[in-house]
Amino acid sequence: MKARTVRLWSVVHTWTSLISTVFLLLLCLTGLPLIFHHEIDELLGYAPQPEAHAGAARATTQAVADAALAADPGHVLQYISWDKDEPGIVTAFTNSAVDGLPDNTTVRAFDAVSTKLLGPVGVGPMLIVLKLHTDMFAGQPGKLFLGGMGLLFAVAIISGVVLYWPFTRRLRFATIRDSTSRRVRWLDWHNLIGVVTVAWALVVGLTGVVNTWAELMLNQWKATELASMVVAYAGKPPPTRLASLDDVVVRARQTAPGMEVAFVAFPGTPFTSSHHFAAFMRGDTALTARLLKPVLLDGETGEVADSRALPLYLQALLISQPLHFGDYGGMPLKVIWAALDGLTIVVIGSGLYLWLARRRKRAPAKADTFARRAPVLS
Amino acid sequence: MHGSPDRSRLWIRVFAAPIVLAVATITGLLAALLWGTVGQYVAWVTVGAPVLVISWVWVRRRTQKPEHFDRVMRGK
Repeated sequence: MKARTVRLWSVVHTWTSLISTVFLLLLCLTGLPLIFHHEIDELLGYAPQPEAHAGAARATTQAVADAALAADPGHVLQYISWDKDEPGIVTAFTNSAVDGLPDNTTVRAFDAVSTKLLGPVGVGPMLIVLKLHTDMFAGQPGKLFLGGMGLLFAVAIISGVVLYWPFTRRLRFATIRDSTSRRVRWLDWHNLIGVVTVAWALVVGLTGVVNTWAELMLNQWKATELASMVVAYAGKPPPTRLASLDDVVVRARQTAPGMEVAFVAFPGTPFTSSHHFAAFMRGDTALTARLLKPVLLDGETGEVADSRALPLYLQALLISQPLHFGDYGGMPLKVIWAALDGLTIVVIGSGLYLWLARRRKRAPAKADTFARRAPVLS
Repeated sequence: MHGSPDRSRLWIRVFAAPIVLAVATITGLLAALLWGTVGQYVAWVTVGAPVLVISWVWVRRRTQKPEHFDRVMRGK
């Protein structure tokens, strides 16, 4: 590699890293507790616990919906969801309107058997950490900005791999030079940790970027696929009287045999049309549990209107989520995820240190040059 | 692409370990998603491999004398 090419890649690596450094540190630091957010919520008492009902029959979905509306008078239901890892809990989302702002949504957990209100969901300190991580309290612009930082991170990683060759070709793999300066030692650590974590960092970084585009993708799906699915209902007003949720759930299951309902979106919410319920179905394997399939049902009669697989870009979004969160391989994978996150913090921190150390090293040299050129007063 | 055979061999020597680790990581990330419980075990080993490498280097530095690392440097 020519010296000029190395310099060029070095400039790309330095500036893509520097521009994104603060935000990447924020993402890594907030991402660390988010890996264990279930455990932290449980520890702090923010995770609702179901009541013990040995062998008791589950309450109907409509009963849970009634309990949710009773718990939040004057509001409407947006979604009802079932977590496959928490079978004793049903989660209800209420808001002042079906298309109300996401930040105004109230999320509550109900016992799946007794429909008793178990408590709010997604509150406490982890909510602040989550907001910092996803949009820095700046809504959609914040999300897209962090997505841009994620793209810079990807460029920094790729340019780092290119620079790994000229910087380490005279060294054996995993050499940390001991007898030289602290800067060289940290350069070796920076190169080593960076190159061994490159695949993980790229996957987590790019899946994070994809996640920032979730709303854009959802809007695209609504404008194209969903619009064509409900074309026969064009011009129909929102339902004045909603169909029974029990009918909706039963018919959705009949339409997608072997699948369970992950969540039901009420007519008018961002996940469906103004006239339809959308039941999002999931399979029972690690992969199919992520690849949701929507079943649209008439909001008034509960009859199935259409059901299609989601387009590739939304499937990519759904698959990118576990790859970003690291929550699909049990506690050992979470611990490994945290360790890799910690190593990424070291890479970012050491990169910043190396840049500052190089500047400090250059500054006296520049000063010497200036002193030599300056006229001598006598 | 890299000129002489010596240069190609050098390129492979420099990038062999990072490529093996990258392939292992990707395999593990997909295994847990596609192969159920067995895939999870695979992921623990392969996604954890970079962490093990760093831990191994760190422990090696703590337990061995600095002179050893001078000797592994090429051209010296």
